[in-house]
This record gives sequence, structure tokens and C-alpha cells, in this order.
Amino acid sequence: MSTTTTASPNEAKLWGGGKSPFNSEYGKVMMWYFLMSDAFTFGAFLISYGTVRFSTNGWPNSNEVFKSFPFAPEGVNAPLVFVSIMTFILIISSVTMVLAVHAGKNMDKQGVVRNMILTIIGGIAFLSCQAWEWNHLFHEGAWWGSNPFLNADGTASSTNFTNFFFTITGFHGFHVFSGVVINIIMLIMTLMDKFEQRGHYLMIEKAGLYWHFVDLVWVFVFTIFYLL
Amino acid sequence: MSHSHTDHEAHNAEAMAEIKKVTIILSVFTIIELILGFWMISLTSDALILAIKGTIVILMMAKAFYIVAYFMHLKHEVKNLIMTIIVPLSLFVWFIGAFLWDGSSFRNLRNDYDPYFKEQATIKVEKKEHGAAKHEATDAKHDAPAAKHETIGTSHETAKPEVEPYY
Amino acid sequence: MSHEAALHNHEGHESHGHDDHGHHEHHDTFLTKYVFSQDHKMIAKQFLITGMVWAVLGGLMSVLFRLQLGYPDASFPWLESILGKWAKGGQITPEAYYALVTTHGTVLVFFVLTAGLSGTFANFLIPLQVGARDMASPFMNMLSYWFFFTASIIMLSSLFVETGPFSGGWTAYPPLSALHDASPGSKTGMDLWIISMALFVVSSLLGGLNYIATILNMRTKGMSMTRLPLTIWALFFTAVLGVLSFPVLLSGLILLIFDRNFGTSFYLSDIYVNGVGALSNEGGSAILFQHLFWFLGHPEVYIILLPAMGMVSEIMSVNSRKPIFGYMAMLGSLFAIAILAFLVWAHHMFVTGLNPFLGSVFVLLTLLIAVPSAIKVFNWLTTLWRGNIRFTPGMLFAIGFVSLFISGGLTGIWLGNAALDIYLHDSYFVVAHFHIVMGVASMFGMFAGVYHWFPKMYGRYLNNSLGYIHFWITLAGAYLIFWPMHYQGLAGMPRRYFDFSIWESFKQFADLNRFISTVAMIVFAVQILFLINFFYSIFKGRKVTVLNPWESNTLEWTTPINPGHGNWPGEIPEVHRWPYDYGKDGHDFIPQTTPVGEDETETH
Repeated sequence: MSTTTTASPNEAKLWGGGKSPFNSEYGKVMMWYFLMSDAFTFGAFLISYGTVRFSTNGWPNSNEVFKSFPFAPEGVNAPLVFVSIMTFILIISSVTMVLAVHAGKNMDKQGVVRNMILTIIGGIAFLSCQAWEWNHLFHEGAWWGSNPFLNADGTASSTNFTNFFFTITGFHGFHVFSGVVINIIMLIMTLMDKFEQRGHYLMIEKAGLYWHFVDLVWVFVFTIFYLL
Repeated sequence: MSHSHTDHEAHNAEAMAEIKKVTIILSVFTIIELILGFWMISLTSDALILAIKGTIVILMMAKAFYIVAYFMHLKHEVKNLIMTIIVPLSLFVWFIGAFLWDGSSFRNLRNDYDPYFKEQATIKVEKKEHGAAKHEATDAKHDAPAAKHETIGTSHETAKPEVEPYY
Repeated sequence: MSHEAALHNHEGHESHGHDDHGHHEHHDTFLTKYVFSQDHKMIAKQFLITGMVWAVLGGLMSVLFRLQLGYPDASFPWLESILGKWAKGGQITPEAYYALVTTHGTVLVFFVLTAGLSGTFANFLIPLQVGARDMASPFMNMLSYWFFFTASIIMLSSLFVETGPFSGGWTAYPPLSALHDASPGSKTGMDLWIISMALFVVSSLLGGLNYIATILNMRTKGMSMTRLPLTIWALFFTAVLGVLSFPVLLSGLILLIFDRNFGTSFYLSDIYVNGVGALSNEGGSAILFQHLFWFLGHPEVYIILLPAMGMVSEIMSVNSRKPIFGYMAMLGSLFAIAILAFLVWAHHMFVTGLNPFLGSVFVLLTLLIAVPSAIKVFNWLTTLWRGNIRFTPGMLFAIGFVSLFISGGLTGIWLGNAALDIYLHDSYFVVAHFHIVMGVASMFGMFAGVYHWFPKMYGRYLNNSLGYIHFWITLAGAYLIFWPMHYQGLAGMPRRYFDFSIWESFKQFADLNRFISTVAMIVFAVQILFLINFFYSIFKGRKVTVLNPWESNTLEWTTPINPGHGNWPGEIPEVHRWPYDYGKDGHDFIPQTTPVGEDETETH
């Protein structure tokens, strides 16, 4: 940040005042720093999870816990299958979001609308999957303050496994939900030609940043809760 | 970075190719993670499991890099913006390191000085019947704490874990 | 949620940043001008005056508990008439004492020295000194104040609930903060405390993002980063610290809410509560909360200190008629402090069961802070050296800041050593240390800022004589209150105790405690004098008749005496030099807007 003294002439111009040093409007700068701040919120949650897990002798085996699948017979043993579907849904919705941003850069309204709709569908699909999983776990007896699962080695487990699972996936789900709401607003604004009138689709880009961040957090949540 | 803005078509094609490439990379990494995950289920060697977990963490970081760099477009931003993102994020190194270090130290302390804590980690518990594990009521949280098994602060012999552990 | 606000408001306000915007006449109603104002100057004043209200309340609380500490056996019937059941028979009850200590800490740290200090001066100075019409997003800026205001109201209301406000210390360690049954203050009072703090986090986030975006994106032509006044740099790092550390507190508080209300045990394990019995919570770690809290808590110290440092640098240079010594070194040390602020949090936890080897790493990192701090101190002293000093009240407070920062900073080196800290922790030595280095020093920075920029805020001067009285009594008082506390702490006197007269070893300090309490009351009375000066001068003070009363170089003095919304009536001025050209080439001062002369010596 304080590298301006040694900056090349080009960079000096960038930092010389009267314009954005990042070539981007302040809204995008703010969005980036907001996401960074949010990264610390999620980081604190996940690091707390790690800390408690490191300070506990046993921990449930995620393959034992997350082994069910919708509509499959009771007692089916399909670890990782359902969550991998959720992961792919989110990755695909992230791709459609990129395509929407890309279409916005080309002022291609049709492309924006199509891809935003796909992104919203992806978001809703993800939330539905999460709702099913929460519901299923709840019926197995898991909830905040209640953990029916045993540690991997067969010893009694503390409730913190479910406490953290519901808190963190819940907080992530809340972000997905607000992302879907934001995307719907963006879609409506696109359909109303708001961005055509403005001459740019920068709002889509900012919504895109937020949506990718939600995907990014899921990469960590997915790995930490389901794989490690 | 080397995109020329004059050649719009070429730029477009390049961007689409990049999106395609990153999508494939993310999918492949996820599939590798899943394969490793499945493989891990059948393993018993602690060292091997640790190695796989390490690999999964590296894949996770790689995926995060691709999402941030390409989907969030950070790689194509001005270098200074990249730095203002990367420098603060590097605080996570010590954030994670110190927390986990102290977490595992807390476990060692408790294992050393709290015999009950250590003893608990050795007592196997009956796996409950599936049906019995269900909630009696939606609201399990406000059970009077005293009604649950009393283990803390009382004598350790009463710690009979088969009484409905840890609701 | 803030991100939605962030999304919906950029575009609409974009036009504010452009040069052709000019001065425009709104038809302002009372409501849009004074209450829901989006003018950064008005929002700054709102922050300042709300902060002052809290400072009076927080100060009054300290007077009340000092009364208890100074006169543990006396009874004051008038106390019962104002505090009711909290002072039965004219003596403050232990519960009330702890509530007062807790609320005093929370309010002073967060509401006065965070919102009141950086809220005021970041809002006021950033657009004026970087040359912008307003903040990047004036609407978010307004929201930031109103979130703070709501947080204030909720915190205030917690004083009036039946079981009292939270009383487990401002750090809110569990289990006192996590269990309703732990103490009377842990019931509704704590719920309100959490809600208030959560809103406060949102407020500081909205504000901080705005400050960062404004400083980066809205600088006027020619205002490169190295031509920014040090105030702006300090406020920039303050905002960065806030944006990165407050979310961690928010996470910690969310987990705390679950522990309190939804039967989880993130922070709880092996607990027996008298009258309730053994709790079933297991597996949690109270140390985890302390880590999360101090991951915010330590940067918070610098969130409080950095704005004061920045303003002191600026005021000191202006009133010494000399360039600030070592501008780049000042920047570097600000940056170093900002980074180190995130690496040292666990030095608050040496005796909580922290791994001692981990503790030794934290000792090393903590002691590193002495380096940039010392650089700053020497730069201030060398700025004063052979200066043509004008002892305005603002300047006196700036010098007082440096004095206090040295006195309090040196004891920080003691406390940063785990070996010494194990002996000194939770004693009055710690109380003395952080009150001098963080509390009083930052208050001095704030006073310096108010005295210096009051003419810009209200177009009138504060009364100088009252200013001098205010300064000398406050400075002498600060040392008389906190200096003796070092000795008490070395003698082992623990902090937060209700009554020392029942301990044989601490009885000897009865007279000293009474002395400290007396001085505290005098100092508090002098602050009231300052408030009278402040509010009297807003309406009746001597009018400012020149644009640039302090003959200062920075941009805010190029605006009209009473700038409207938009700050400059015409074009925003262009900047040609750094702000510290004092006493250069035979000129007393050269404003930033002056183009570089042909035969001028090297410029920045």
C-alpha cells in the first residue's frame, strides 16, 4: 500500500489522486473489503471449530454421520454422495454467475437474464438440499445442544460436533439465502432495463463477487466438515 | 493481463476458454477430493490418513485460489488491489496456527490434570438404537440441566455413560 | 444486512465524488440537516456529541465506584436516592459495583474511544483532508451512525433492567457471560449487551468500509498516498483494523448467544453453579472465547490509539511550524503497528491456561511493538526539537499525549513479559498501564483534535483560558490518579475488588485510595468545565474570521469558514505538495494547493 515511492511512472499516475488506484469504482472496492471482513467472520467460526476439535479427545466420523440420501431406504450407507451433489450445484451456479458477469460486460441482456435465472435456481437447489439434510439430521436426534452420534472410536461424543455443524452451515446457508435474494433483485433490475440505462452491468459484477464468496466458503465448509 | 481491448472477439473467446478451464479444474479437484475421501473410509493407518487429509487441504486451497483468482477475477485486477487482499489474508496463518496450537495444548493439559476427562475417552458407549436417538420433543434445549446425568463436580464413579449420553 | 446495503447504494451516490458536482443548495429541513443528515460533517458532530454523552456517563460511573473504593465504610444517603436498590443505605452494593465497572469499561472503550473518536474524526477529516465532496457512500455513513445510536440506546436500556446491566467485566468472559444463573447481571443485562455490541460491530463495519473506500478512491487530483496528512494514514489503518477484527468478535458473540440460549457448550465445560447444580455442558473451552475476544480486543487497543497518534502528528507539526520528522518512518511504523496488532492478542491471556511455549512466542511478538512505538515517539520529540512552538490548547494536549504514551508504553514492556505478567496480571499495575497508555492518552488525542478542529466544525473558537485550565488539571490529575496505582499493583493489590479494607495487606492503601478518588472527582469536574466551554462556544464563542486560523497546510482550511454539504463551493482544489512544508525556503508555511515554485528546493 505504501509502495508509491518506488512506483513506476504508470503506477504513480494511478495513485496520484483524482481517480481510483484500482481502476474500479468504490462500490467494488467496498465489496472486496466487505468480503474480506466476512472471511474473518467465517474464519473465526471455522478456526473455533478446529480449536475445539483439537482440544477434544474423540470426534464423530463424518462418514458415519452424513451417509443418507433423499428417497433412499432407511439405513442406506452412502457417505459423501449427497454432499458432493450439493458441492457441484454450488460450483455450477458459480459458473453461471461468471457467465452472467461476462455477458454483462458485453452488454448482452439476454445472456445476463438467462444466467442469472440459472444461478438463482442453483442457489435455491442448494438451499433445498441443505434443508433436507438439516431435517434429516434433526430427525436422527441432532440439533444444537444434542448429539446422537458417537465418536469414531466408540466413546461418547460431546455436543460440539452438532453445535458447530448447525451454526456454521446455518451461517453459510444464511449467506446463500441473502445471495439468492440479491440475485433476484439483480434479475429484476436487469429485466427492468436499469443497467441498460446506466450503460453498465457493474452491479451484476458486485453481486457476482458476493456469490463467488459464498461458493468459496462452501469449499472450506465442505472440506472441513465432510472430508477431514 | 495481456488482453488487448481492441480485439474484442479474441478477448471474449479467451475469457470463455478461461471459464471453461477453471470449471474443469474445480470439478476435477472436487472429484479427486471425493475419491480420496472414499478411500480414507477403508483405511486404518494413521499416517496414511494424515497424508490424505493433508492432500485434501492442499486441494482445498487450490480450489480457493482458482475461485478467487478467476471467478472473482482477482488475477486480472491491478496489482495493488491484489496486494491489499493478500496481505490482510496472510494474517490467517498466525490466526489458525496459534488457535490450533493452543487447542491441542488444552487437550494435553486436560488429559494430564483431569483424570475424568481422560477416562472418558477410553470408555466405549453402546451405539443407540436408531429410533431411540430421535428427539422426544422439538425442544430438547431447555431440559433442566440438573435432570441430566450429573457427572461434573460429583464423584467420578457415577459416570456411567450408558445413561443417554450427551443430549 | 450490511452487504445488501452495500449493494444497493453505490450507484446512486456516485455523482458525489465528481469534481463538477459543485456546491448545491438543498432545501434542508431540520430532519435532513440535523438528524438524518448524510453530510459527513454533521455525522461527525453526531458521533462526537453522542460520544460526549457516553463519556459523561462512563466518567460518572467511575466516580461512583471510586467513591466506594475511596470511602468503603462511609455511607452517602444521596446515592440511594439516585441509584435506589443498587445503593441500599447509601452504600453501593457489590452487584452494582461490578455493573458499574463493567459498563464503564465497555462504554469508554467502544462507545467513547472507538465510535466517539474515530467516528468523529474519520468522518470529519477524511473527506476534508483528502479533498472529497463527501464519503464514498454518504448513505452508508448515515446508517453507520444510526446503528451506533441504536446500540447506544440498547446499552443504555440495559442500565434500567431489573437485574441490572452486565457485570462480568467488559471482556465478557464466559461462564459469567454465558450462563443466566451465573450472576444477576448475566441475565437480561447480558442479552442487551450482546445485541448492543452486535449492532456496534455493524456500525463500525459500515463506517470502516466507507473510510477505506474514500481514502483509496476519492482523493483529489495530485493527492497521492504519500501526500496524505498523517491523520488520514492513521485513520486508514484504524479502519483496516476495525474491518478485519470486529467480525471475529461478532463470531465469538454469535457462539455466545447459542451458549446462552440454545443449549450449546462452545465455551462451557465442567461447571457447577451454586443452587443449580452441575451443568451437563461438556467439551467446550472458555479459553476459546478469550482467544476470539482478544483477537478483536488487541487490535481494538490500536483502533483507539491510532487516530490519536495521527491527529497528534498533524497538530504537532502545525504548531511547531516544522515538517513532521520522518514522514515515511511514521507511515512504516503505523503499518507495522497495524500488522503486529493482529499477532499479539494472547498476551492478555498469559495466566488463563495458555500454553506457556505459545505464550513465549506471544512475548516476542509483543515486545516487537516497542520498535514502531519508539520510532513514533522519537519522531514526535524531534518534531518538537527547535520548533517555533505555539502552545495552543490543542498543542498542549498533543504534547500531553506523547508524555502519557511514553509513561504508559514503558510499563507495557513490563507487562508484555510473561514472567513479569504472571506476577502483575489483574493487579492495579495493569489498570494503571492501560488507563494511561490507551484511555487517558487517547482522550488527550481526542481533546487535541477537538480544540484544533473546533474552528472548522463550528466556525468559532473554544475559550483558550478554560482550555489551559482543562489541560493542566487533567494532565496533573491523570498522573496523580494512575501513578500511585503502579505501586499498589506492585504490592499485589488486585483489580475489580469491591472493598480492600478487609485485607490486612491492602489496608495500608486506604489513604492512597481516598486520595486517588478525590483526584478522580476533581478531574471529572474539570471535564464538565470542558463541556461547558464546548457547548457555550458552539453558540457564543469568538467567531473565526480568517480561513486558516492555525496557518496550516492541509486542505480543510481551504474550504469556507462554514462549509456547506459538498465542502468546496467551486472546484475541488488540486494538490501539489505534501502537507508538511513548514518553514521551507523562508516561507512559514506553504499550503498543499500552492504549485511548486521554479526555484524551490526538493519537494515531496
